[in-house]
Amino acid sequence: MNTSLRRLIRGASPLGLPHTLSRSALRRLAPFAWLARDARSLVALTTRSAGRVSTWEIGSSLLCLAAAAVLCGACAKPLPVLHVYTWADYVKPELVQRFESERKCRVVIDTFDSNEAMFAKMKAGATGYDLVTPSSYMVSVLHSQGLLQPLDASLIPNRKNVDPEYLKVALDPTMDHSVPYMLSNSGLAYLASKVKDPVPSWKMFDRADLKGRMTMLNDMRETIGAALKSLGYSLNTTDQKQLDEARVVVVRWKQNLAKFENEQYQSGLASGEFLLVHGYSGDILRAQNENADVTFVIPREGTSMSADDLVIPKTAKEVRLAHAFINFLHDPDVAAENTNFISYLCPNVPAYEKLSPKIRDNPAIFIDPAIRARSEVIRDLGVDNAKYVKVWDEIKAAK
Amino acid sequence: MKPSRFPLTVTWVVLAFFYLPIAVVVLNSFNGARFASTFEGPTLDWYRQLFEHREIWQAVVNSLVIGVGATIVSVVIGTTAAIALHRYQSRLQRVHYAVIYTPLVVPEILMGISLLLFFGAIGLELGLFTIFLAHVTFCVSYVAMVVLGRLQGFDDAVVEAAQDLGAGWWTITWRILVPLLSPGILAGALLAFTLSIDDFVISFFVAGPGSTTLPIRIYSMIKHGNPPLINALSTLLLVVTFVAVWGSQRLTTITEKP
Repeated sequence: MNTSLRRLIRGASPLGLPHTLSRSALRRLAPFAWLARDARSLVALTTRSAGRVSTWEIGSSLLCLAAAAVLCGACAKPLPVLHVYTWADYVKPELVQRFESERKCRVVIDTFDSNEAMFAKMKAGATGYDLVTPSSYMVSVLHSQGLLQPLDASLIPNRKNVDPEYLKVALDPTMDHSVPYMLSNSGLAYLASKVKDPVPSWKMFDRADLKGRMTMLNDMRETIGAALKSLGYSLNTTDQKQLDEARVVVVRWKQNLAKFENEQYQSGLASGEFLLVHGYSGDILRAQNENADVTFVIPREGTSMSADDLVIPKTAKEVRLAHAFINFLHDPDVAAENTNFISYLCPNVPAYEKLSPKIRDNPAIFIDPAIRARSEVIRDLGVDNAKYVKVWDEIKAAK
Repeated sequence: MKPSRFPLTVTWVVLAFFYLPIAVVVLNSFNGARFASTFEGPTLDWYRQLFEHREIWQAVVNSLVIGVGATIVSVVIGTTAAIALHRYQSRLQRVHYAVIYTPLVVPEILMGISLLLFFGAIGLELGLFTIFLAHVTFCVSYVAMVVLGRLQGFDDAVVEAAQDLGAGWWTITWRILVPLLSPGILAGALLAFTLSIDDFVISFFVAGPGSTTLPIRIYSMIKHGNPPLINALSTLLLVVTFVAVWGSQRLTTITEKP
């Protein structure tokens, strides 16, 4: 199960950043200045005229370079610094700037590319991050390993805005050590002009007329989960009988599938190679930007949801500032602006009505509450995971 | 008899193999579409977004600072190590050789995780400095190997002659060893810089808050971000590299002419 794959590229946003390159950009490039200064002696070295240039000149300039390289990591900054460890492009830059000026601080953002890599680092003892945004299942793991600190509810008054409907299915429903940040879900996407009489249901994979032009996710929990949902069961079931029924369903679907596919389905759908795919909402949004014919639906039987949560590691230094940032992100105006920009849904009730119509009317982002009530978050099942692995192996082996 | 066209064909195929992928990147940096499968008219939009992206530029600066710093330090240490290995043949030097050689064959992930555990154990705060140390660790081996190769064809009689004429170690180092070894040192430096600039696995583990390097940033953007920006950035890096190479070649010819 690779939940990191559902982190996707947000839609090409029409909202650009302000065109104020000039001065601030120059200041950012300032660290290059010494490069230019020392370039001459470097060139002198490369042109093998070292004998002509004073050895001291080369030596000292090289030493300066080395010293600059080493010292720059420790430049003293008078402002408090909040270190955020997150996915690339996962918060609107203007909002970060607004927080910086409101709280008189600096926000430094570092990025990771998978929950597993981030976990390996945290577990091995990496410190200094004040706020991290792992997916929910990884939050459970971090919490069970004692790497997170409990949140101080009094410092996050905006937690009252968090969608109670979502919290019902969340892995940390009391927001003891995490606050949900952004939601995504899986669903069906198809080419409206090519697929006749589409039905928002997992049963679409039984359609013989689409044989060979459909894909499902190559992810055991997602795909077995879809079959379980189509049968009206929980996608976190550990009942062997239900799982056996689901296996029969997926094996039947498999006859109609081109393949199980996690990455190429987006471009395959955009280019018309596939007509119907099972995929993550963010990936589909990207395909929609490419091909307006791509239509996304959430199956009425319900689907899987996933969330990235805001958590504070035990080793955080700027604990109060981290709480303040969580509170800031759940301000209704901020949450709406952020959702409009990164195209994931921040589960913040007062923000829902402030969303742009384009976001609100897109089922890939704003899921219908009735269907959401039937959807679930994939849980880590511990030892019972083996049951899924066995069923998945049987599905893969089936002809 | 006409000369065979075979070598020419092979040359073109090899050149195409080298440069077509780069051409695709450059082309796509002007592609309005987000997927490479279609071309939707030329655009400079990715460049506009790139120039306004504070975090990417911070990552570029981090990578350059680490790359230049690690190159310089590893060139000094690596060259010294190579000279020592070449000059003295003892059991200790054989151990020295093994120690220098090991980082070349140790899997990166192992090195990354063990460096992280080590830095954690001695209580060193992760950041640019730890990435710098890690890069020096593996760059030294490459530099030493390249310079050692250069020393293999080195005529030790030159050094002995200089000693006969009364030159001290300082003079010998700067007037004989460095100039004669400079192609090897330069090659080692370029290798070290390249390795440092595109190292991901080790850097990821030893990076601390505020020290995201360009490769870490790019990996994260591929899965969760804006890949066309990467095309634009790669194109800019290519332009900078070509200009630098062209400039240094021009400078070389100018200084050699008089």
